[in-house]
Amino acid sequence: MTSAKQMIVTLFIVALVCSIVLSFVYSFTSPRIANTQSELTLAGLKEVSAAQEFVEIIPDTLWRALDSSGNCSGIVFRVFPQGYGGPIPITVGIDLDGKITGIRIASAAEGMKETPGLGAKITEKDFIEQFKGKEASEVPLKKDGGEIDAITAATISSRAVCDGIKTGIEKYTSYLGAVPNKVNVFPAAQEFVEIVKEKLWYALSDTDTLGIVFISSAQGYSNCITFMVGVDNDGEITGVEIVYSNETPGIGDKIREREFLDKFTEGMPEAITGATISSKALIEAVKNDIELYQEYLK
Amino acid sequence: MKNPALIFLGAFLVNNIVLMRFLGLCPFFGVSTAVETATGMGMAVIFVMTLAAWITWLVFHFVLLPFNLVFLRTALFILTIASLVQLVEMFLKKYYRALYSAMGIYLPLITTNCAILGITFLNIDNKFNFLNGTVFAIGTGLGFTLVIITFAAIRERLDLAPINPSLRGYPISFIAAALMALAFLGFSGLFGLT
Amino acid sequence: MRRWHIFTRGLVKENAVLILMIGLCPALAVSGTVRDAFGMGLAATFVLFFSNVIIALIRKSVPNEVRIPIFILIISTFVTMIDYFMQAFQPDLYRALGVFVPLIVVNCMILGRAEAFASKNSVINAALDGLGVGIGFTLALTIMGSIREILGNGTFLGTTVFGEAFRKTPVIFMILSPGAFLVIGILKALINKYVKKE
Repeated sequence: MTSAKQMIVTLFIVALVCSIVLSFVYSFTSPRIANTQSELTLAGLKEVSAAQEFVEIIPDTLWRALDSSGNCSGIVFRVFPQGYGGPIPITVGIDLDGKITGIRIASAAEGMKETPGLGAKITEKDFIEQFKGKEASEVPLKKDGGEIDAITAATISSRAVCDGIKTGIEKYTSYLGAVPNKVNVFPAAQEFVEIVKEKLWYALSDTDTLGIVFISSAQGYSNCITFMVGVDNDGEITGVEIVYSNETPGIGDKIREREFLDKFTEGMPEAITGATISSKALIEAVKNDIELYQEYLK
Repeated sequence: MKNPALIFLGAFLVNNIVLMRFLGLCPFFGVSTAVETATGMGMAVIFVMTLAAWITWLVFHFVLLPFNLVFLRTALFILTIASLVQLVEMFLKKYYRALYSAMGIYLPLITTNCAILGITFLNIDNKFNFLNGTVFAIGTGLGFTLVIITFAAIRERLDLAPINPSLRGYPISFIAAALMALAFLGFSGLFGLT
Repeated sequence: MRRWHIFTRGLVKENAVLILMIGLCPALAVSGTVRDAFGMGLAATFVLFFSNVIIALIRKSVPNEVRIPIFILIISTFVTMIDYFMQAFQPDLYRALGVFVPLIVVNCMILGRAEAFASKNSVINAALDGLGVGIGFTLALTIMGSIREILGNGTFLGTTVFGEAFRKTPVIFMILSPGAFLVIGILKALINKYVKKE
């Protein structure tokens, strides 16, 4: 009969060794896992767009496609319309004219839950190829006024795809070529030099570096809020612009009001009454990001 | 997040744990020789499954996540379940003798029941909150019970039927299960669930 | 010849899935395609082999009363290892196997061998036993996977077998849930009929 002490000690030692081994395995594999994830995402983006380079605007939802000279050549976005069996993950690429460059529907292994042999056929080449070159008005099914042929006996799945894509195009078209004007948030600057692609710039006058301009995002009440901030070398905010937000109209949407955004130049504003979550999210994010980029302010 | 009623229906019928998800097969075939034993096992499973879902959910959200120990999930969950079953067994034996004789004997078997561990993982993977996780566990447990009792009823009759010797026992049971699974496939699409 | 016997025992005569009827959950769930079946078999063999070895190694220092929790700790360590390795190096397979990778920890086959054999035998014997049972498991799964993929999808490891026409209307039933039950039922019936009992 072994003593209780012996039992506890053995258990403890084994548990300790196991935990240590596992934490090694975890730290060894996690960079690889994250890497594979981003490679996978990039491969998915390239499938729907001719571009080779992409810049993430809304995490995991919207990317800007860049051509070889670094200019915006289109966007890629993801939508998840509700199909017959569940949400259908679709990646869509559109060019500057709003025409589809390609779509990609996730396979069953990746979470597409339509019925095998019927709705699942939306992943097949014949169906997907139809979307190339179409614009938003042409995207619905033929029976709904558009130009897409549904899959026989799988109307619900087909319709879901079309509606999802159409909604997505309408939602994100504003991002096409709409590179926010940095001078709006840093009026005193003459020139901007990119430090991190589409994310961080130095604001320069003729002779000096006056400060920085950066774009960042925060999770608002309903959606992601992407904003642009100008900060001078003293850490004072020179301007804030909302690049993208989709907060509740009349409530969270108030963060877009000029009145509110201008307050930032006089110090951190108070949260908007009645729109606490959205405005607080923005304020906190601006505060944190300024701290994050401290080192760039001389 | 889906509403609890849909989650329940999904767990109970549409994505039935045994026939659709293939979890809990060992007890499903092992303890379904008579309706009485099947009922006992079903009750035990519902009980343990719900408790296990609660405790592992709490452990995950209040221990593993905050301390960045998610990689210890597998080890911690199985140990929790094993300990839980031990404790439940001791508790029942001491305070609820009647209940213990009804379902206590099945408890040790439940530790390696992949259904229990399975739904604790699924609770996390599906990102359920506490309420939805509870509904999911109860729905799954009831689904298991429904299926195992039905199957036991079928097997009791199979035992008395004239069957080719090489089909006797497991083979004909599997074929019966195949037909049951086929029937349950019919639930696919109910209320928009897959 | 004792050593050889230990190895082959798990392969055929006491095959986990087809003779002893344990480890059924993964056998039925992931045998839809050969790649998934084979991958699961290898993963389970990895866990079985290494946990058998470690348990045999420390068997003399483990107090009897706490042996089960300790076995579970060791087995779950290797399961977590293969979980993260698969996520890092074979993400497609990982996504296909889903929740069944961490569920390897409750595969009765693994705890069963640990308790019945590895805790009572030398490291080499435990290793051979683990390999034998694991490979037997992989074999059973792969056989099921082949039948289900060929009939249910018209392919074997992705390459078309019966021509494109069959691929348009395969026996979808085979890939779905009832097909799994049917395949193992018929396999077991055939074994009952043609394999002599000892």
